[in-house]
Amino acid sequence: MKLLGLMLPLLVSLTLLSGCGEKEKFVIYGSSENEKDVESILKEDYVDKTTVIQYDDSMLVAVQIKPWDKWRKTKLEKKLQKKFDEKYPNKKVFVSADYKIYYEANKIKKDKVENNILSDKITELTKLAKEET
Amino acid sequence: MEKEQYKQLEQNVTPKPPILKNVVKAFFVGGLICTIGQAVSLFYIIFFNFTEATAGNPTVATMVFFAMILTGFGLYKRIGQFAGAGSAVPVTGFGNAVISAAIEHRSEGLVLGIGGNLFKLAGSVVLFGVVSAFFVALIKYILVTIGVVSW
Repeated sequence: MKLLGLMLPLLVSLTLLSGCGEKEKFVIYGSSENEKDVESILKEDYVDKTTVIQYDDSMLVAVQIKPWDKWRKTKLEKKLQKKFDEKYPNKKVFVSADYKIYYEANKIKKDKVENNILSDKITELTKLAKEET
Repeated sequence: MEKEQYKQLEQNVTPKPPILKNVVKAFFVGGLICTIGQAVSLFYIIFFNFTEATAGNPTVATMVFFAMILTGFGLYKRIGQFAGAGSAVPVTGFGNAVISAAIEHRSEGLVLGIGGNLFKLAGSVVLFGVVSAFFVALIKYILVTIGVVSW
């Protein structure tokens, strides 16, 4: 139990400090067309970080919602989806607030995935996000 | 009169339970268990094809597995003695209740011993969980049918 007394303050301070590292809040990958428009749509006070993957007419929007707004995560997700559907009726847009999708989207950017497999990746992630089992 | 005297005597002798201390202990140990659970959940999200919505099932299974190992080595009861509800409320406490019953009745045989007594302690949790889930779903279904809320 002495160990616990030593570890707890360390753990708490580490978790508090980890919030300090500021990263890029808005990332777009693939084609950079209408970057400004997408960024302005995502400029809501409940959105923390976003990564957008674009290819042809499909678009994957991975958002991270701020902690206290996570109670309304599904509702906010639907709201953003509706906004995108209204703005781009000809595009296949998919909005997800899931951490897995955000993580994978960032991985796509980090690995610099080629354009020809980008559309496969987008469909794969869309399918994964809809998985329920 | 004698009864009241006895009551008074008993109250004087009984040591005061350190409620605040126990609550703090339970809070931190319960929080620690949940932090480990969150780490396991993140592990499944990052290294396997689980989303935030689906990572819950393997996480619960893993936490019960950890509880099983700790119970088997007799360590979980020490955590329980120290933290009380902090170790009983998370799903590891449920796992501990199932597994310790299985270990206790091992000598009575596989079917009537382990099979019959496995849910001796945890059976009520399963029963009331299922029944309350049924009623909550029923209430929500009625509310959706009336049109008060949506799914």
